[in-house]
Amino acid sequence: MNEALLEVRNISVSFDGFKAINALSFSIAEGELRAIIGPNGAGKTTFMDIVTGKTRPDAGEVIWGEKNVSLLKRQESQIARLGVGRKFQKPTVFEEQSVYENLLMALDNDRSPFSVLFYRHNESDDQRIAALAEEIGLQDHLEKRSGDLSHGQKQWLEIGMLLAQEPRLLLVDEPAAGMTQEERQKTVDLLRRAAQSRAVVVVEHDMDFVRKLDCRVTVLHEGSVLAEGSLEHVTENQDVIDVYLGR
Amino acid sequence: MQGPLTQFLMKNPSVLIFLGLLSAFTIFAAIGSEAFGIGFISTSMIKTLGKTLCFCLIAIAMDLVWGYCGILSLGHFAFFGLGGYMIGMWLMYERTRLIVESSMANAALPPTPQEIQEAIGTQIFGVVGGAEIPAIWAFAHSLPIQLALVVLVPGLLALVFGWLAFRSRVTGVYLSILTQAMTLALALYLFQNDSGLRGNNGLSGLQNIPGLDHVPQSHISLYFLLASAFALGLGFVIAKLIVENKMGNVIKGIRDNEARVRFLGYHVETYKLFIFVLTAIMAAIAGAIYYPQAGIINPAEIAPIASIYLAVWVAIGGRGRIYGAVIGAALVSMLSSLFTGGQIPNIEVGPVNVVWVDWWLVLLGVSFVAVTLYAPKGIGGLIDMIKMERTK
Repeated sequence: MNEALLEVRNISVSFDGFKAINALSFSIAEGELRAIIGPNGAGKTTFMDIVTGKTRPDAGEVIWGEKNVSLLKRQESQIARLGVGRKFQKPTVFEEQSVYENLLMALDNDRSPFSVLFYRHNESDDQRIAALAEEIGLQDHLEKRSGDLSHGQKQWLEIGMLLAQEPRLLLVDEPAAGMTQEERQKTVDLLRRAAQSRAVVVVEHDMDFVRKLDCRVTVLHEGSVLAEGSLEHVTENQDVIDVYLGR
Repeated sequence: MQGPLTQFLMKNPSVLIFLGLLSAFTIFAAIGSEAFGIGFISTSMIKTLGKTLCFCLIAIAMDLVWGYCGILSLGHFAFFGLGGYMIGMWLMYERTRLIVESSMANAALPPTPQEIQEAIGTQIFGVVGGAEIPAIWAFAHSLPIQLALVVLVPGLLALVFGWLAFRSRVTGVYLSILTQAMTLALALYLFQNDSGLRGNNGLSGLQNIPGLDHVPQSHISLYFLLASAFALGLGFVIAKLIVENKMGNVIKGIRDNEARVRFLGYHVETYKLFIFVLTAIMAAIAGAIYYPQAGIINPAEIAPIASIYLAVWVAIGGRGRIYGAVIGAALVSMLSSLFTGGQIPNIEVGPVNVVWVDWWLVLLGVSFVAVTLYAPKGIGGLIDMIKMERTK
């Protein structure tokens, strides 16, 4: 069990009596790629909110890293600095700022106000940004206002910003939503490459996309794990067929 | 050292343009002044110009905190006023002391220090029915300490207020209301006669600089105009250095999507607090240079409406571009003194007699609505459009 990078034990949370998460346990190993699927309201986004510190669970534990740090009492920014990166459902990049500036802010540098205030542009950061831009296919758009990018490009920029943070765990919420077939394939490739050096959790509705990711799948339903295993395994599970696929 | 500075100036030509225009303006004022020049600008006009520069400086602070960091503070005039009070205490105390001492010097018996203190107390606080010098005036005899307090008192207030508000994640309109409450509470407190700052009388005679009685006001007004211009230039450069650097990226990020910045690992509250305190200090310095030119400060100056005007200046000038704030503050405050100063003849329109002192507010309100509806980026936005046309 000690090998787990993130371990969630028995968490529950309810909003106005509605149990969004119900005794959920989940763990992910270092460098693992995992997909989470489940119908609307299954608690996928709430799960991410809990891990990243946005929502506090009513019960349970969230344990991080080899030192077994609890994430529950930490602020969002601290959790992010520990190495949890998050991509939101809607592409959230800083639209008024250029691709370069977006990536610069995300780069894994000191986050304290004084080092930010006295930050000086340097060659090595520029190179890292150039490499990241290459990775996400935006190398020709560095000076472009990111609000002017296409939907798909914004999603990639956000993934690029996550990579820039050098997280050990990437939480990605519905990356393929609103993308064309071609863009989806690029996104799959991007995530698979990202997973080579870090753990990645992808929440997704789209079965085809999950199939392409070709990884272990966790099915959530009514706030707890319904099934876990390969995509073939879970799609043959009768419970899964009943609540999700069969609809 | 040459490298980064030249780079910064190359990337931000507006800094050089601004400093150039500001220098040209001060030279023009000096040439036109009664003190050193041909005298077509009256001393009171020099004071108005100097005060306008101070308004431009607090507008820059407002643009930083609102236009860049997204905190619509409606309380920054509290810091401006506090800065004025802090310097005003020294001005009033020292001048009163000099007057008291010189008038007592002719007495048969040399006055004891206690007698001098009592006489100063009666002089300053007689108007609110007291003779004791309140404890908060303990350092009023010392210019260096009062100058330090110009920065420290408003800075500390901003620090405590900001820490409490940001830590509880109060944002948006709720925060605006809180800042209004802060400035209102401060004004109401100062209105009390036992606040130690002379209640609604405020501090007066601030245009008379202790020990400089032999220097005519025409000269002093010009020195203060130069000081205002220097402070404004410095404020402009500091603001530009902040917003054109990574700090600017982060605070604009906070303005546009606070939660996202948090998930990038930045401690948003600390950044907001930094900008809030920094701009409070800028406002305080602007106030400390403003009130010796105005000559009087009273609690009405920090009534909530003043801070709302400040937001209107910045909105009309154009948020998020620093120079926009300067344009807005200069234009609106100059127009305001023009319309309320009685220079513009009143007009009879049918049954309505347009008295500009009253109708100016209507005009200001209408232009604010018009700017919000038709030019949300303010005058600065129009300048951007002209620039875009050129590059096309």
